[in-house]
Amino acid sequence: MTTLTRQDLNFGQVVADILCEFLEVAIHLILYVREVYPSGIFQKRKKYNVPVQMSCHPELNQYIQDTLHCVKPLIEKNDAEKVVVVIMDKEHHPVERFVFEISQPPLLSISSDTLLSHVEQLLRAFILKISVCDAVLNNNPPGCSFAVLVHTRDAATRNMEKVQVIKDFPWIVADEQEVHMQEPRLIPLKTMTSDLVKMQLYVEERAQKT
Amino acid sequence: MEDVVLHYQPGSAAGLSSLIERTEKLLEPFPYRTPPVFTPWFPTTTIDCRLPIRPAKPAPVVTYSGDLFFSDNRPQTPRTATETNKWQEPKVGANVTYKHHDNPGSDTRTSPEKRQKSKDAVCISETSNHLLPASPRNKPERRVTGLSCGKQQQKDCPIKRSWSIFTHRGVLLQNSQSLSKQFRHMVFTHRLHLRQRAKWVISEDNCEGARDIEQVWQTLSRSVQRTRLPTCNANIQRERAEIWVFCDVLYSEQVGRFLKDELHLSGRISLSIHRLGNILSL
Repeated sequence: MTTLTRQDLNFGQVVADILCEFLEVAIHLILYVREVYPSGIFQKRKKYNVPVQMSCHPELNQYIQDTLHCVKPLIEKNDAEKVVVVIMDKEHHPVERFVFEISQPPLLSISSDTLLSHVEQLLRAFILKISVCDAVLNNNPPGCSFAVLVHTRDAATRNMEKVQVIKDFPWIVADEQEVHMQEPRLIPLKTMTSDLVKMQLYVEERAQKT
Repeated sequence: MEDVVLHYQPGSAAGLSSLIERTEKLLEPFPYRTPPVFTPWFPTTTIDCRLPIRPAKPAPVVTYSGDLFFSDNRPQTPRTATETNKWQEPKVGANVTYKHHDNPGSDTRTSPEKRQKSKDAVCISETSNHLLPASPRNKPERRVTGLSCGKQQQKDCPIKRSWSIFTHRGVLLQNSQSLSKQFRHMVFTHRLHLRQRAKWVISEDNCEGARDIEQVWQTLSRSVQRTRLPTCNANIQRERAEIWVFCDVLYSEQVGRFLKDELHLSGRISLSIHRLGNILSL
């Protein structure tokens, strides 16, 4: 087994590529499963060798792509601690928070676990869990919207410059009301450990959604 | 503290008292002061440090209504009750995206059957750039038509679509034999791929007479919806007063002739290819 640092093989970039690709699929699927958008704008696709639902609405797709494009540098530098897909009600209070907690090892050990096929298998398990998560979650009220929040390891303001990679897509510090949830219920969905990245996904669900 | 034993020489009893006094002094605890609590000059426990970041732009809102999907992400001031009624009316002059699927659906949520039905629907979205955060004050404006006026609205309401997509329903693929000799030579010269995209540009000058560019655009949109323009998607550039019709090189001649004849365009329309520029005029 060989041990390499994060600088070798542009390790951070590899992880960021994998994670951003996964997050894009996951966000689309969450929006579909939790019925944030009409199901008519989604189409069935195949990713990680499993069927997934992806939006075909150009505006929404662009929004998700822009968001992840900005998040990528943070993941690359291991500055992103959590990426949260928040589903909010009409009053913009969170009703559900899909929390992707990410941790990257400082040293990379090359082993069979590092093979991308192995990582893909782990990510596939996440996707499958998301696709059935509606069984353990209560229905959301109508008229929900969503936002992607990024918790950084450092102070948020210090990472502002890193995410401003698209000119017309500025980032701001989230409002407190978007972050804090009343009486949340914690539903762990999936966890993965690989040599490249450690990740866990859990849902915080508001007890009273209506 | 344990007992302290003081040894002294027996002959010096006079100095005993001073010796004891000095010893007691030495045994007294050292004076100490409590250091003040360290407070850094920068805030450490402010809310900002713990709050996450998010895009300033809110996610687009797509609303389903009959066989129409509307979306918009423009900010809006809080609505009053009377304004809510107006909210049901379609917006005049908004940029609307239009996408046509094969069959109109009826419902969107929950059951798989409903989901499948709603997949075959028409999607309309209004677009606008703004950078205000999503908050109750800056709620995205949603303009939704009632279920009953879904299709009627396409005919009567002055919704302005910004692009249209051709569906492959009922279209037979042409082969390259249908290309004119001159055009085929040009394709060969420029080494164009037949599936490469080309763009016809219709300018305001082409829409002379009683018709303006908006009327031409409406006619064109209908033609695209009726799958009369193979591989086409069209886009109106209102700032430039131009209509851009994109199609495969394979169909570009056919599309160009159709545009000229069916839309009754005057003057010449030009076909351009990315990087090459204008390659043909009709």
